[in-house]
Amino acid sequence: MAFQFEPGVVVETFPMLLRGLKLTVVITIGGLFFGFILGSVAGLMKISRSLFLRKLAGIYIETIRGTPMLVQAMFLYYGVPMASGVRIPPIVAGIIVIAVNSGAYIAEIVRGAIQSIDPGQMEAGRSIGLTRSQTMRYIIWPQAFRRMIPPLGNQFIISLKDTSLLMVIGVGELLRTGQEIVAVNFRAFEVYMAVGIVYLVMTLGIAKALRALEQHLRVLPEK
Amino acid sequence: MIRIENLHKSFGSLEVIKGIDLHVRPGEVVCIIGPSGSGKSTVLRCINRLEQPTSGRIVVDGKDITDPKTNMNLVRAEATMVFQQFNLFPHMTVLHNVTLGPVKVRGLSKAEAEKRGMELLAKVGLAEKAHNYPDQLSGGQKQRVAIARALALQPKVILFDEPTSALDPELVGEVLEVMKQLAREGMTMVVVTHEMGFAKEVADRVIFIDGGRIQEEGPPEEFFSNPKNPRLRDFLGKVIAH
Ligand SMILES: Nc1ncnc2c1ncn2[C@@H]1O[C@H](COP(=O)(O)OP(=O)(O)OP(=O)(O)O)[C@@H](O)[C@H]1O
Ligand SMILES: [Mg+2]
Repeated sequence: MAFQFEPGVVVETFPMLLRGLKLTVVITIGGLFFGFILGSVAGLMKISRSLFLRKLAGIYIETIRGTPMLVQAMFLYYGVPMASGVRIPPIVAGIIVIAVNSGAYIAEIVRGAIQSIDPGQMEAGRSIGLTRSQTMRYIIWPQAFRRMIPPLGNQFIISLKDTSLLMVIGVGELLRTGQEIVAVNFRAFEVYMAVGIVYLVMTLGIAKALRALEQHLRVLPEK
Repeated sequence: MIRIENLHKSFGSLEVIKGIDLHVRPGEVVCIIGPSGSGKSTVLRCINRLEQPTSGRIVVDGKDITDPKTNMNLVRAEATMVFQQFNLFPHMTVLHNVTLGPVKVRGLSKAEAEKRGMELLAKVGLAEKAHNYPDQLSGGQKQRVAIARALALQPKVILFDEPTSALDPELVGEVLEVMKQLAREGMTMVVVTHEMGFAKEVADRVIFIDGGRIQEEGPPEEFFSNPKNPRLRDFLGKVIAH
């Protein structure tokens, strides 16, 4: 039987895909929100004066970056409940995995951005009597944040795509929804193409929004 | 105002300051000259503890800053610094640069700080630039803002580290003018500089540092017209031949 392209399939199943998409968006946003907090804390720990904090952050970052996210997800969802006796809902597990995973990469983004700021800025802040943390908050962080935007945008796109891996722990996100549809109608070509296009539209959208944000901030001076 | 006793400072095994004693009286302008790498900046940076002295005692405005119990943040506001590279905060307007310290460190209200900030900007001739960002200013203007930022803290002494060395020659004068005015008004200043003309005209005392030690010091007339130390003679010869 010759293959026949049936775009109508996509139209039929689109409402279902949208439900999966909603979950993808929720997990991406939730995961990145906590990932940014986690990454900022870990990034600041990485440059703190305390050797202990530096080491602790280092262990976190290296462990996460050195293991596949798929392994992290399966360990958290299937492994940890065996030890703790508490099952976590898949969505929560998904958000935790994205947060912990992106946090490790965001930590390096934060550290790099802060270290790229001229040390003269810290000295000038200290010289007008600000404490180290005040200087960080009012002088260094706002400048560093601007430099974080492009690599953060990159990480946003990676994390969005990574949510598709969460299908292995039963999160009904976009790709898993697509898979479920295919299991019923066998239209793998059309459905997975539609799934791919939805991811592409979102990643292009994020990239565009970030360029606009950068443009907007460029109105303010950089040094 | 500042009393330095037997200051030593090493970076690792490199001893940069090898025993310096210096006493700066209120209202005095002390200029420090010396060859590159002789330790001039290091002395200034020890005075407001951007560098930790290896040994010796430094008393600023009656507070022993080598004592770990001293609140260094307040001392830094009393002995604030003007840098060669200006180090203005590029993400803040000129006025905000000037008001940040008074609001966060001195506890002034924003309105008070802005009122005084505008007065100080007027004083350095930059009132109309208050709402611009630093990168919209020339080097000389940036340095005048940095001076206003320092003055806004109402410090006891201002430490200048080669404030005109990063400037195009035609912009040096406007910064020196502001500094001369401060000197006339009785501000205590320690100035590391290569501007011999400024040192001659404004300094109460000139200090020559070489090899981490004070080699010669005295009032400028004597210091420049009749240098005794051979290294100073050599140094002055080179600078003037320049
Ligand atoms: N943080 C540091 N770590 C290691 N060595 C340093 C450090 N800061 C300064 N030095 C060294 O200390 C010596 C004195 O430096 P300093 O900056 O005080 O000299 P300077 O007299 O200000 O010179 P210049 O006229 O070039 O500014 C130099 O040999 C310099 O390389
Ligand atoms: Mg220097």
